[in-house]
Amino acid sequence: MERKRNRVEIIHDMLRIIQERGGRIKKTHLMYKANLSHKQMTTYLKDLMKNGLIKDLKVGDKTLITVTEKGRDFFVKYAQMREFEKTFGL
Amino acid sequence: MKIVFTPDWFLGSDVSIEIFSFLILFIISILAFRNYKLSEKKSTLHLGLGFLFIAIAGFASVIAKFPIYYDFGIVKEIGNAVVNYDIVRTVDVFYYICFFFSRFFTLLGLYVLYKLPLERISGEFFLYVYFITIISILSQPFYYVHHFTALILIIFIINKYYKIYLKEKAGNTKILVLAFAILGLAQVVFLFSKLAFIYAVGQMIQLIAYIALLMLIIRIVQDGKKEKPSGNHSRHA
Repeated sequence: MERKRNRVEIIHDMLRIIQERGGRIKKTHLMYKANLSHKQMTTYLKDLMKNGLIKDLKVGDKTLITVTEKGRDFFVKYAQMREFEKTFGL
Repeated sequence: MKIVFTPDWFLGSDVSIEIFSFLILFIISILAFRNYKLSEKKSTLHLGLGFLFIAIAGFASVIAKFPIYYDFGIVKEIGNAVVNYDIVRTVDVFYYICFFFSRFFTLLGLYVLYKLPLERISGEFFLYVYFITIISILSQPFYYVHHFTALILIIFIINKYYKIYLKEKAGNTKILVLAFAILGLAQVVFLFSKLAFIYAVGQMIQLIAYIALLMLIIRIVQDGKKEKPSGNHSRHA
């Protein structure tokens, strides 16, 4: 059985999925791809926007989500954190 | 009683090594605290505290040695104090307190690194803090007690990280094991540091260990930077 993801892993997954989709994605697609409920998705999106990791992008009549520079920096911090934890066996 | 074992030709160099080691340990603790902010893992917080304690130990030693080695106002005060025995005793108290904290925080930091993750602060933890305090006081007349205790703790830490290395086979953990092994070797050398030359050799070995830890920090930071995606927003096919 797969282990339950923690908060930081969910955020990393969301940002990774957006990046893999070319840096922009529809909210509903992100919800399915990140395997989140609507309630979880709303909470995380609010949190990510508040912290400036993602932003809304208007394309025609559609609203997409895109990763900001700060969001891309998060990948660095996350990778460093994982490497640090792996090194010290945390 | 001799306060420091540094030979005359090595005066100042040992302080430089201790400042360098303080910076390395402080950077590792900052990295751990930054990661804790992200992951909220208690073990990461405790690791940061462990390294911070050892950094504080180095800082306390530097604070104690600076007035001894360099011509500060306090040195002149010591000169004046020679006339008055009571004041000399007051200055001695300053050195002894600084060196006590240096030994105490080294052992406490090593204990935290060995013991982590600390599930909760229990009575047992305070018992160990009590023993560490006693050892730190005893190490004043019997300096080798401190180095022997540090060596024992380092051996336990090496054993712990070696098991992690066998499980993960991570190159960075190998460097970590190597750095602690060199630190352990330095403690063996310090056991004989009554011979001034040996003390200098111990400090040099310790410097090599901290250079290895610096390499480890650089590798962790570099590995993270490789992960940064480009800002290209073109859609995949």
